[in-house]
Amino acid sequence: MEVLEEKEEEQNEEELKALELSSVLHDVEAELSVEQGCFSSDVPDFDWNSNDTSQLPDSYKMNSPREKKMLCIADHYHQQYTHLCPERKPLFLHPINECGVEKFVSTTVRPTLLPYTELYHWDGCASFISDYLTMEPLKCPLTPPSLLFSPTTILKYQRGNCFDFSVLLCSLLIGAGYDAYCVNGYATHNICSLDETLEECPLLRKPQEIPKEEVKKPNKYRVKSPPDMHSKFELQQEAKKKAETETTEKKEREKMGTEAEEPACDPLCGLRVHAWVLVLSGKREVPETFFINPFTGNSHSTTDEQFLGIESVWNHKNYWVNMQDCRHGCKDLVFDLSNSVYWEIMLSETDKPLQMLLGAEKKNELLDWNVDDMQDEEEEEEEEEKRFAMPPSWVAPIQVSPKEFETRYSQGRKVILYKKAKLEKWAPYLNGNGLVKRLTVYTDLSRTEVAEVKEWFKNREDMLDLREVNKQTQLTTDYFSPGHLFGLKVHTYKSMNPQAERVMEFYSETRVDGLQKLAENTNEMREYFVGRDDFKYFRHTEFHTERKKVALAGTRTDYSRPIVQIKECFHRNLQKPADEDVAERVFLIEEEVIQLTYHLKDKYITASKKDFFKPTDSYRRSEIMTPEMCNTYQAGSSEQHTKLVHLYKLFQELTEEEKQLKQQVQQSQAEVLKILEIHENEGADIKLPVSIYDTERNEKIRQEFEAMMNAKRDEFPEQKEQDSDYLAPFLIQIGSPEKITRKQALRLRDNCLSDFKDRIVSKANIIQAHFEKEVEELQKKNQQFQENQNQLSEKEEADFLADCSETMFRIHILALRLDREKQTAPQKYLALEEKLHKDPRLAEHLSHA
Amino acid sequence: MSQSDNSFEPNVIDDEMLQKAVEEQWPEDIRKLAKAEGINFEDVMELQLSFRNILQIDNLWQFENLTKLQLDNNIIEKIEALESLVHLVWLDLSFNNIEVIEGLDTLVKLQDLTLFNNRISKIEHMDTLKELQIFSIGKNNLTALENVVYLRRFKNLNTLNLSGNPFCNEEQYMLFVVAHLPGLVYLDFKLVSDTTREVAISNYSYLTDLLEHEEAQALAQLEEERAQQKELEYHKTAFVEYLNGSFLFDSLYAEDTEAAKLAYLPGVDDLLQAYRRDFVSVCEKLFNYGLKEYEKREAEVSDFYEGLQEVLTANQEEGRKIILDFENQNKTRLDEIHHASSHDTAESMRAEYNKDILQLSEALMTLEMQMVDQLEELIKEFERNIAVIASTFIENVKGMMTQCRNLENSHHEKLLEISINIMEKALKNELDEELPDDVREFLVDKNTIVNMVNKSHNIHLLKISERESDILLNTNHWEASVKEKALQNEIDRNRSRIKEIFQYIDDLQKQLNNTDSRAPGLGLPWAGQLP
Repeated sequence: MEVLEEKEEEQNEEELKALELSSVLHDVEAELSVEQGCFSSDVPDFDWNSNDTSQLPDSYKMNSPREKKMLCIADHYHQQYTHLCPERKPLFLHPINECGVEKFVSTTVRPTLLPYTELYHWDGCASFISDYLTMEPLKCPLTPPSLLFSPTTILKYQRGNCFDFSVLLCSLLIGAGYDAYCVNGYATHNICSLDETLEECPLLRKPQEIPKEEVKKPNKYRVKSPPDMHSKFELQQEAKKKAETETTEKKEREKMGTEAEEPACDPLCGLRVHAWVLVLSGKREVPETFFINPFTGNSHSTTDEQFLGIESVWNHKNYWVNMQDCRHGCKDLVFDLSNSVYWEIMLSETDKPLQMLLGAEKKNELLDWNVDDMQDEEEEEEEEEKRFAMPPSWVAPIQVSPKEFETRYSQGRKVILYKKAKLEKWAPYLNGNGLVKRLTVYTDLSRTEVAEVKEWFKNREDMLDLREVNKQTQLTTDYFSPGHLFGLKVHTYKSMNPQAERVMEFYSETRVDGLQKLAENTNEMREYFVGRDDFKYFRHTEFHTERKKVALAGTRTDYSRPIVQIKECFHRNLQKPADEDVAERVFLIEEEVIQLTYHLKDKYITASKKDFFKPTDSYRRSEIMTPEMCNTYQAGSSEQHTKLVHLYKLFQELTEEEKQLKQQVQQSQAEVLKILEIHENEGADIKLPVSIYDTERNEKIRQEFEAMMNAKRDEFPEQKEQDSDYLAPFLIQIGSPEKITRKQALRLRDNCLSDFKDRIVSKANIIQAHFEKEVEELQKKNQQFQENQNQLSEKEEADFLADCSETMFRIHILALRLDREKQTAPQKYLALEEKLHKDPRLAEHLSHA
Repeated sequence: MSQSDNSFEPNVIDDEMLQKAVEEQWPEDIRKLAKAEGINFEDVMELQLSFRNILQIDNLWQFENLTKLQLDNNIIEKIEALESLVHLVWLDLSFNNIEVIEGLDTLVKLQDLTLFNNRISKIEHMDTLKELQIFSIGKNNLTALENVVYLRRFKNLNTLNLSGNPFCNEEQYMLFVVAHLPGLVYLDFKLVSDTTREVAISNYSYLTDLLEHEEAQALAQLEEERAQQKELEYHKTAFVEYLNGSFLFDSLYAEDTEAAKLAYLPGVDDLLQAYRRDFVSVCEKLFNYGLKEYEKREAEVSDFYEGLQEVLTANQEEGRKIILDFENQNKTRLDEIHHASSHDTAESMRAEYNKDILQLSEALMTLEMQMVDQLEELIKEFERNIAVIASTFIENVKGMMTQCRNLENSHHEKLLEISINIMEKALKNELDEELPDDVREFLVDKNTIVNMVNKSHNIHLLKISERESDILLNTNHWEASVKEKALQNEIDRNRSRIKEIFQYIDDLQKQLNNTDSRAPGLGLPWAGQLP
């Protein structure tokens, strides 16, 4: 057992506490009552005493001899500790569990890996814990609780204080392979009471923009710009003015901000007990040591100023007391737990056998953590007498059913308050409209005036993913996941009225026409396209504001506005020469004019143009095409007239195009209407389709599945029986008679049992042989190593160590298996005997044996 | 179709026939228009001359832009007079009396060629038709199945018709063709199935493998040659071709018969080796320097053009902006003038608009003048830089060539010394080695040998000077041409821009003037509303 060393220690916190306690005692009480009051208001008081402990396993209700010994050691340790550091608070060592039994804190940690991929990572674990459990404040915010329930009980009732949160989270993290520890320490009021109202909502944090650096070396050939004729003085004056106004504005803004956000001073600062989780770097590729606040599930740097001090840390194997000064919070702490100056350990870490082998004090940097663990465990067996290891956890396995995992929030709902924001979360399928998350942003700190509401949906048939309502502009924006019937991506609108202003964005790659965006208001429609074969990227249609009475009754919908003009823009098609490649064409439908503008030729500043004037009906009969019908401007060529034949052909094409365009515009309009219709229908009757893989919810699929399983079972019932017939080989030996005599039955039983015994023995022998072989090999290697130790290079040494650790691992496993085999063999034997006894074929003969 | 087409008289393609054929392709209204305007054969893209009893192809040279030509069902005997139709993509010569494939070499864009039902007995003379995709040569006189291998060179060929040829009766016809033309999708109007292809490939792999191997080899060789050619080109543009290695040194001795004789003298061989080594190392140095300088020159030129491009783009944008602003402002102005309430207001509006047009012209011209000034400066700077680069290059080359000359001089002196020594020895009959007779001949007196060595020396010096002046000439030529090009480009640009501005302004003014001259009833949208 480790002896505590005398150390220089700053006990500032404690002194401070002593000072303050007397002066602010009644403040505390007042505050406590306030806190309790406010919590009791929104959380119906939960009586932990009412919980039923009778169902709990025995390990919960009593201590094993090893646990008792552990408690003894802890008491001894604590005695020495209080003797050496009388000013410090008593340690949090063995609180009472739900059955009223004292349990050492380390044994409450039950490392578990749950079968959900999300829980394989620390952030998934942390957010699960923070979502799943309801936070309860500590009974007394200044001392650790006297009770610490098992993680299973906490999970069952879905509530707990910071210590419960931490122990559960730590169990999951260690199970997932992290080097995690529970921490007992001090933190600010906001952290302790899960008050995030001063923090910005993480969903509102803007992603940091990475400024794009354009690395382009300036060309040395550059022209001098023409002389600047502006007055420099004027410019300066203007700039000055601007700067001034900006600074004043900024000041005002700052003023406003600081006024509103001044946090209240906490008289108990530094005394509030909190528990959280420490994750050390190294395992699972964690690059840096960090804290996790179990209430929020957020990670914090170890230098975070909200964490004010650490008393002790523990995991499932050991317990360390912090001997460092925490006057300045946690930012100066060193988290090297093997350093006995900074951290006082409870169960001494045994010396490494490898180090003894080497005969030199080598740092264990070379060794993997795994090696350490393994060695620890191995030594437990070999040298149980000398050294004591932490007894295994008394807690029953932690289990979370898929349903519980999915439902998450207690009562399926959770509300978090942030600065100027409120976040609500629901379990999927809980709300009829698929709502899973809602963020309400307010303009003021007291959260009265709503600025913006964001709602997230899941599993909706119309693929609606997120709906943003801006209360100030009255704009609603819907975001859809891919899969909407018309490839809709974003829809921004003020009202569902078809004539209202709206912007729709589409998944252009899923659409045949490559439509990317459609903006519409009362008298115009803009459509943007992407990736079209005809290089069109923009179409602008203008309508008459007042709608004509559509005379064509019944043939089409009465919603069609007469078109004034259609304008289309095209990208450059490099396969055509520039002055044959149309850049823009405008159909002035009312004026019966078509204007074509071509792309610019290289270095030219004027674009070629063609304007067609449609002939009137009377004119058309006499002539087909005259030069007057077309105005041509051909940039860079003096040839005035292209042949009329070509113009005529072009004109014919354009007239045809115009007809088609009109139709297309009408189709677009119809599509918009259709989308709105779908929207309305869906709004009225929301469907939440269930995945066929979700057997929990999908009733039909589950029935089918069960039916299938039943069918399967029905199909091969006999085979199954045969599989498990342990008597079959012996029955065959005696010729499988229909009826068995008593003598035969007895012999059968004896044969069967002896055969089983043989098998067990031979199995144990095989394991034993393996074990001995490995041990021998290890010894040989060690011997070799010691002989050549001086000549070995570092690399070889490392290789040897790795090899050694691997062999030891194998030895350890073999020893475990052998042990288990020994323990279970008699039970198995008895079980088989019992089974034979009850076997229908033998029963009548054996029952009276 | 007119009467004459159906007669059995053989026809020759003449203007009349062409005219008719072109006209027939158009619908009524266009034909009318075209007739009024006159047909231009250059504009015709497609031409159909089927069933016209044509015996000889002729007079097609005017159809420069023709892409599709149908000459099927005639009595043509020889493919000819198609050389100028280089844009042809589709050529139909089916149902004729052609015996030999020929005269298609210039039709490199041809994708679809039909020679169905002719009298051809061999596939040949089509090497240039790289784009060929569809080839029909059914119902001909093809007898040798091996001839099909010729079609392997058409990598894009996917449709082939060979049916009705004598060799189609051979048992292995189908498999042989499929095996040798792996890219084929359709053969004789049928899709080539995967199973057929597999069988064919496995059956004929011994033949096709060999072919493939040969082809691959040929390709590799071709590529190697090309790479070499390219490398040489590169060296040539750097003016240092054949300077990497001993080419120059070897050329010194190539025409030098005296040196060969002198080489027999004892000690000369070693001297020559040393000389060669030094000389080649100087050449290598020059070569590497040349390549480096070439990169530098190229970088300078590309820098200039990049900078120029930037300036031009900026200028283009600026000009475009001026014009667009003008156009947007004056969109409706012509209409307004037209709708003006009285003649006087119309006149005054017109005058005003005219003034604006002139203003625009002024602005554009100012921009252009500014541009010209700026570019002049830019080009001058470029010229200066180019001149510096060229002169440093010349200087350094000269320096290295002097090194060569020095080497030659010192070699010459040593050679002279050795020769005289040997001669003296020979005269005293102290010479140990046996020398050939013609060498002994000139070891008689001092004059002969000194002359000989001098002659060799002069040849060498001449060669070195030739090579040097080569490089210098090329460099000067390069400098001049680069300057010339930059200047010419600028002049062309300036001219075309000025022309463009004038034309544009002209056009605007014409439009303005047209506003009143346009008579009512000409199809203007507002024509009906006029008083």
